[in-house]
Amino acid sequence: MSRSGIAVSFNLNGRTVQETVPAQQVLADFLIERGVAGVRVSCDQGVCGACTALVDGCPIATCAAFVFQVDGCDVVTVEGLSDSDDLHPMQRSFVDRFAMQCGYCTPGMVLTAVALLNRKPDPSPDDVRRWLAGNVCRCTGYASIVDAVLDAARRRHDLRERT
Amino acid sequence: MTTRTVGTAPVRTDALAKVAGAALYTVDITVPGMLHAAALRSPYPHARIVRVDAERARRQPGVLAVVTGADPAAQRTYGWYIKDQPILAGDKARYAGDIVSAVAAEDPATAMAAVELIDVDYEPLEPLSDVESALRGDAPALFEERPAGTTPRYGRGASGWIHPDKNVCYRFRYHTGDATVMSSCDHVFDDSFSFSAMQHYHLEPFVSLASVTDGVIDVWSSNQSPFSLRRELARLFDRDEDRVRVHVPLVGGAFGAKNGCKAEPVAILLAMQTGRPVRFCMTAAEGFLTQRQHSATLRLRTGVMADGTLIGRDCEVLLDAGAYADASPLVAEKAAYRAPGPYRWQYVDAAASCVLTTTTPAGPFRGFGAPQAAWASESQLDMIAHRLGIDPYDLRVKNLRELGEPYMPGDSAVDSDLRSGLAAVAEALHYHDRPRREALRTQGRGLGLAIGFKDSGGGSKPASARVTVDGDGHVTLRCGTVELGQGAHTALRQIAAEILGIPVDGIDYAPVDTASVPFDQGTYASSSSAVMARAVAEAAIDVRRQVRQALTHRDGKALGDRGRHEDHALPQDWRRLLAGQVFDASGHFEVTPDADAPLGEKCFFWEPGWGGAEVEVDSETGRVRVRRLVVCGDAGRMINPELCHGQESGSAIMGLAQALVEHRMYAHGALATHDPLSYRVTTFTDLPDELDLMVQEQGHGPGPFGAKGYGEGGMLVVAAAIANAVQDAVGARVTDLPLTPERVLHALDQGGSEPSAGAAG
Repeated sequence: MSRSGIAVSFNLNGRTVQETVPAQQVLADFLIERGVAGVRVSCDQGVCGACTALVDGCPIATCAAFVFQVDGCDVVTVEGLSDSDDLHPMQRSFVDRFAMQCGYCTPGMVLTAVALLNRKPDPSPDDVRRWLAGNVCRCTGYASIVDAVLDAARRRHDLRERT
Repeated sequence: MTTRTVGTAPVRTDALAKVAGAALYTVDITVPGMLHAAALRSPYPHARIVRVDAERARRQPGVLAVVTGADPAAQRTYGWYIKDQPILAGDKARYAGDIVSAVAAEDPATAMAAVELIDVDYEPLEPLSDVESALRGDAPALFEERPAGTTPRYGRGASGWIHPDKNVCYRFRYHTGDATVMSSCDHVFDDSFSFSAMQHYHLEPFVSLASVTDGVIDVWSSNQSPFSLRRELARLFDRDEDRVRVHVPLVGGAFGAKNGCKAEPVAILLAMQTGRPVRFCMTAAEGFLTQRQHSATLRLRTGVMADGTLIGRDCEVLLDAGAYADASPLVAEKAAYRAPGPYRWQYVDAAASCVLTTTTPAGPFRGFGAPQAAWASESQLDMIAHRLGIDPYDLRVKNLRELGEPYMPGDSAVDSDLRSGLAAVAEALHYHDRPRREALRTQGRGLGLAIGFKDSGGGSKPASARVTVDGDGHVTLRCGTVELGQGAHTALRQIAAEILGIPVDGIDYAPVDTASVPFDQGTYASSSSAVMARAVAEAAIDVRRQVRQALTHRDGKALGDRGRHEDHALPQDWRRLLAGQVFDASGHFEVTPDADAPLGEKCFFWEPGWGGAEVEVDSETGRVRVRRLVVCGDAGRMINPELCHGQESGSAIMGLAQALVEHRMYAHGALATHDPLSYRVTTFTDLPDELDLMVQEQGHGPGPFGAKGYGEGGMLVVAAAIANAVQDAVGARVTDLPLTPERVLHALDQGGSEPSAGAAG
């Protein structure tokens, strides 16, 4: 591996990361080495979504991105969704709706769903299905996840109505 | 019976960790000084291994060990009934993906780079790409010597043979009744079906971390059956079982694939060579080369009377087992025994052979032979109904076994009312609304039904559990059931919580570790909520008895205990009242052998599934759109309704995957769908327009509170229900899976008529 590297600086879950990394270092590996357990590698080909992180609010497959690509970006993993001990409303809905079984896809699924609601606060079931189509869940049969995302959207909507 | 916790849906005990990214899986486990393994796999489907030169790899900086098939320890073999799979291929590679050599290095990149430096001389042999080529008279034998193995002790009407023919590793046959009844049938219909193989596609890869200290092997593994694994590893590495310790944290999906040896033997071999812990984490693509579902062809000869009375059935199943026997014998046994379906027969002769081919070894997959059997049987029932001019619903109802009637002579009684689930599905689909049905057909739409039925995983499956209360009132459940995602750790705690009258979160589930939890055969066949649940309930009831004694002693008056699950007359604060006292009890459950029962033990419970589909067939493109999928099962009694619905939904969509979406494909003898990128997995966009899930609670289960196992029924019914709906919609009969647009178009080209029917008698 090359000793020379690329200096990168980015925001990871609210904290600044400044490091020199090998050009070929993959973002998922970088994050996992730093204890970010919510990033899970499964397919390692950018097709299953288990390793999803939000980069400037956009879900990406960290197994298919180099670290240098996020230079200057805001990177959020499931650990950074909520800045308190409370769950993010999307996490809450996943818990309440039993929208997980083995849980391996769950962090990535939650992040992609959060990005959806940020873009489209009141999605239709079809919007949810299409938006989440890059995240594979082998256990649930997907139905409970669609319910959870719609439930989170409703809760958010109700919250806005009240305030 | 009233319950407080059982029948409710408290939050999964692992939900918060899973949603926060804090859940611990084997893949997360690291230890100081850990090395990383990588494997060299044969690129040839069938080849003589002439020479392996690992010197260049050994000399690489950071490489600590390279093992090859020449190492005697690597030549030890494993498997279920038949021990034929070597840790490393020695003289011969039997499929493209067979591990020939493995490296341990300081980091994964070094290990992977070193693998590329191992030179192997192969002498390619003729590949046996499919069942047909493996069964040809002049085909080479995949095994020159007959591997060691044992057949189980079967009961009345069942037999098994190891390597009865060249390239057939196992044959199972079940028969009952008199074959001559076939000649008195009005019709004998002879139809053949094919079933394609899926990948399990568990998201957590096959991964193990092994260390060997003072002769004790410690292995952390993503595995469903830690005690069975321990036994196999102890045998492979020549030591007593208590010198092998298996730890299983949460498992990131299994679906059958994580039974038996996967990454463990290579990790252990390298740990022994280097004296350091070794982690072997396969890539997902390597997973595709490690295990798969069984593809199959099934031929059914079914004798019926003109009024639709089923008389007899001959069934011949050919399973493509792949290169090694793995669990194929067991899958064969189940496929054949389940092939008759839950109908009344005077005669059955069902056999299944496992054919060795130079493809990825096939192993357990959700449903275990039953999806293959149900696909053929439930498709043929509809074909027969159409030929006789009888409604497929009526044909089924006419022939279904009654609640309380033995499945086969000597076996246990059917413990679900099979008509009620079928009626529920038919009603949800408006099946009996004739005018609506006619209107649907004019739009290329149709309805189909199917019934699935499988014997439970109670046989040869002892389970033990231990419940303890420490002096501080902490209650701990110790048992070997693995949390695969099904929610067993939540449900089993609910059972203990119910009996002890405490909240679910008042019970700790001890880490699954063979050194500290009692024996359990394994977490498979949807059996935890009945089999292990019995052991857990027994232990909890015993603790409750002890607690009541202690309270009696303390208060000087008797409380009594009728020993029933629901009898929770403990004072709510008993843990506080008895602070400082400890309680400890064990429970055990095991189905007793029975020579009269065909599989050697009476089936513990039956898992039925009922399915229905409304499809729309595009006759221009052949595309099948599922407008509505209805799946129903009988949980006996739901310990946790949300968990039951989760199992129902997961197995229904896996059934949909089988029907329409997923299949492994070979091109020119090589696996074309060899990784997640090339394999089309089922996603959100494949969901049917509407999904209706129903869970019945008929109350006849043998588990605590009337529970049964649950989680495979949907897998058995969806494919046949959809194929039957396609025939109803456009008259085209597809007998091969999956129902690709190409196949549907081809069937439409046949004039929308079904394959020709043989008639006799």
